[in-house]
Amino acid sequence: MPKVTINDRTVEVEAGTNVIDAGLKAGVLVPHYCYHPRLSVVGQCRMCLVEISDGGKKMPKLQTACSSYVMKDGWSVRTDTPEVAEAQKGMMEFFLINHPLDCPICDQAGECGLQDYSFKHGVAYSRFQYEDKRTYPGRERIPLGANVVLNMNRCIQCTRCIRFTEEIAGTGELGFFNRGARVEIGTFPGRELNNPLATCVVDICPVGALTSTRFRFAERVWYLDKKPSICTGCEVGCNITMEQRRGDIKRYKPRFNVEVNDYWMCDYGRASFERYKQQPRLSSPRLAATNTGWSQALDAVHSRIAGAAGGEIAFLGSGFLTTEEAYLFGKLADLAGSQNRSVPVDLGTEWTIPRHQRPPIKGREAAPNRRGAELAGLGGGHDLLDGDAAARCAVLVVCDSDFGKAAWDPETVARLRKAKFLVVFGWADSPLAQAADVALPVAHHGEKDGTFVNVEWRVQRFEKAFPPTGQVRPAVEVLSDLLSRFDAAWAHQSASTVFDRLAGELPAFAGLSWRRLPATGASLHVPEAHPKVSDQAAEAASEATA
Amino acid sequence: MAAFEPVLTKNVGKPEALTLKGYRQLGGYEGLTKALTMEPDAIIDEVKKSGLRGRGGAGFPAGMKWSFIPKGKDKPKYLVCNADESEPGTFKDRLLMENDPHQLIEGCAICCYAVSANTCYIYIRGEYVKSAVILEQALKEAYEAGILGDSVQGSGFKLNMYIHRGAGAYICGEETGMLESLEGKRGQPRVKPPFPAVVGAFGAPTVINNVETLCNVPHILTHGADWFKSIGTDERNTGPKLYAISGHVDRPGTYEYPIGVTFREMLDGAGGMWRGRQLKAFIPGGASAPILKPDQIDIKMDFDTVAKAGSMLGSAAVIVMDETTCMVRSVARLAKFFNHESCGQCTPCREGTNWMELVLKRLEHGEGTESDAQKLLSICKNIGGQSLCALGDAAIGPVKSLVDRFPEEIEQHVRERACPFPQPRYFENGA
Repeated sequence: MPKVTINDRTVEVEAGTNVIDAGLKAGVLVPHYCYHPRLSVVGQCRMCLVEISDGGKKMPKLQTACSSYVMKDGWSVRTDTPEVAEAQKGMMEFFLINHPLDCPICDQAGECGLQDYSFKHGVAYSRFQYEDKRTYPGRERIPLGANVVLNMNRCIQCTRCIRFTEEIAGTGELGFFNRGARVEIGTFPGRELNNPLATCVVDICPVGALTSTRFRFAERVWYLDKKPSICTGCEVGCNITMEQRRGDIKRYKPRFNVEVNDYWMCDYGRASFERYKQQPRLSSPRLAATNTGWSQALDAVHSRIAGAAGGEIAFLGSGFLTTEEAYLFGKLADLAGSQNRSVPVDLGTEWTIPRHQRPPIKGREAAPNRRGAELAGLGGGHDLLDGDAAARCAVLVVCDSDFGKAAWDPETVARLRKAKFLVVFGWADSPLAQAADVALPVAHHGEKDGTFVNVEWRVQRFEKAFPPTGQVRPAVEVLSDLLSRFDAAWAHQSASTVFDRLAGELPAFAGLSWRRLPATGASLHVPEAHPKVSDQAAEAASEATA
Repeated sequence: MAAFEPVLTKNVGKPEALTLKGYRQLGGYEGLTKALTMEPDAIIDEVKKSGLRGRGGAGFPAGMKWSFIPKGKDKPKYLVCNADESEPGTFKDRLLMENDPHQLIEGCAICCYAVSANTCYIYIRGEYVKSAVILEQALKEAYEAGILGDSVQGSGFKLNMYIHRGAGAYICGEETGMLESLEGKRGQPRVKPPFPAVVGAFGAPTVINNVETLCNVPHILTHGADWFKSIGTDERNTGPKLYAISGHVDRPGTYEYPIGVTFREMLDGAGGMWRGRQLKAFIPGGASAPILKPDQIDIKMDFDTVAKAGSMLGSAAVIVMDETTCMVRSVARLAKFFNHESCGQCTPCREGTNWMELVLKRLEHGEGTESDAQKLLSICKNIGGQSLCALGDAAIGPVKSLVDRFPEEIEQHVRERACPFPQPRYFENGA
């Protein structure tokens, strides 16, 4: 592999790597706007001009780092010469002369490429004093589609959005219109930017020209707290950054993971946190429809399960449980001597995320962790939602009050209510929770640590973004308390201890540990036979609905 | 010099040259016949030896360009003839196409044979309707006579030639912008490398040559490289050259001279200055060439000498200006052209040409400030060498030379807070 020296740091890169990527490897950021690692190279923003010497001989002009590919040894790149600094200064001036400089009312302010590079490479005064700025009257807030709004005045014409719709989404709704300084971005006549990945153009827009309808004016970005998380929209498990302020989730942004979602995520997933706001929240443990404390509620559950010897006890799982929660529920079922466990999952629209040099990843199940829940101990029983299965139960434990659409369906609720004693865990105060004998408020996925296993059997860890409020507690804690009533060894568990324990026990997770789980997740060793049962069931169901 | 026999324009004014029969009688298609008996590489060598440099503006040696085309047969190869002549002041290719279409077809055919290209596109500027009609007719005749088609003159070499008309964009005269337009996309230059010789039209190796360049080729083959080299100033500047002279001269038009004729001879040939006025400035190579002053009147008009004088021969479109010309207004008009024709994809050209036009207009209207000259230079510096294609460099040529060579005129505009020259009534409306 050829070696290249960038600002005196030498790195070895694959032949054909461009200087921007080589720079990142060497720890040097070459400023750029139009270049994106997944989009074709157009070399048009001219921000990445660098000085390149080949074998000590300087190239006559500054070169764009994005379109200069390291093919052989001997290249030396400098990004810190006066000449380069002068060029960068000139480019920043060009970008800003016609930019409205409306940062105080711009959503991008705080994460804006123009602000960052102005600060680093630009100058603090303007020489554009006597001329009028170019504007696009009437094109300050054009909805390009349902989720994206364009402000043409702020655009720096990098064409990342156009190339995204052409090359990644494959839909090509956007184009470059007009010429010269009057050039503008727009949708082709009769088209709208409504493809499933549309909002990705907002992420890759380096300035505030494209903003998300959902996030517009919702929050100044510097007030956002950001934590790595996983999208719960479907079984793909796109890596996201959960961005919230004081427990109020403002947006999901895709987090790069080359194995799963690359740089992208779908609009459906971006909106999936809305349900935490739209649906009523279960905020206090309830015993027989009366608010109570945790000890009383858990004592009631404990005595009911312990006293139900001989009677049938069933566990209705959920694809929204973390693997650790499912494992603990499984242990509870073991202690209760119950074999009747199942994980119902809704089938939704199929979402497809394109990936680099890999086939696209697709998800149909409308929950992130059906596979993890089944692997960890909730799979294998018969369907509790059907017929009179619930009525035969002495105790029915519903692990998630919002396990799917059925939890909101009065008929299903009535059917599940036929169980002699109904325990419901969950964050949502669904009709099912309201019908329960004991309802236990637990954290949703923004409020807890855990892992999900995605459609490709990749286990991925996510972090608590903010603490739950009121009496809400993470389910792992609650289950640890409940299990310790049977066996003191289960006291004081957390997601990490449970994960390490299940990794030691379940062959699929062998060799993994919470601390050493890679940021990109880890592939599970899944025996061929095991998961296929419910996969086939899902396929049969999807064929039935199709 | 007086003994110079026109080469490229020898058939101009002979209507019979428009027909295949007439062209043959005038000695046409001899070059092609000779070429078909030669090895392709030998043709390239001959053209290399002749020292023919591209007549489109950059002056790149044509033979060398052809030799860059890979020899393999895994991809088709193309020749694209650049007939998108849209540099202000340039009208030489038009003359060749309208008066001697077969000369161009012959040149294209030889080039195609030399680089093993089976397809040739002639990309004609949209406004050149007459050229397109005449060339279409000539193509038809050539096909019927078996000069084009499945077997060129019975040699077994297959060649198809097509006319593609542009839609009115200067930037489509830039070679990669032309390829994009040819492929049916928005006409905007591509990032280079890869160069068209490797990845050109439809992703295949492509030669792109100007009309005049290709028209030289039959003559090189007929008369030999040594004959070609005997015309011109030196080893690096050979052959006949068309000069399009316009502006304040008595008889504007296209004139053929051996390359390297002096500007004074050329001016005299065009009948001298209009109404006997004084020469104030001249542009030697089209709108993008820096302006020269009368002290350069004896300059030899070849690629290297003009470059040494701080300008460029470009497309050899000579624009002559007399003492009544306001340089600021002229350059403002040129800046307006480049702003209008910038494709808008790269930052320095998109923003810089616009800014330059605004500053120059302000100066012309007497609203300039003392810092404007320096500001213009600094904008030029930020565009120069940093734009994606050559349009940025083209746009700064006239502006830079205005500031460098006519500073007193800018100062006068600023000091008097008005243009000191007679005002045309229609400056604002695009004149």
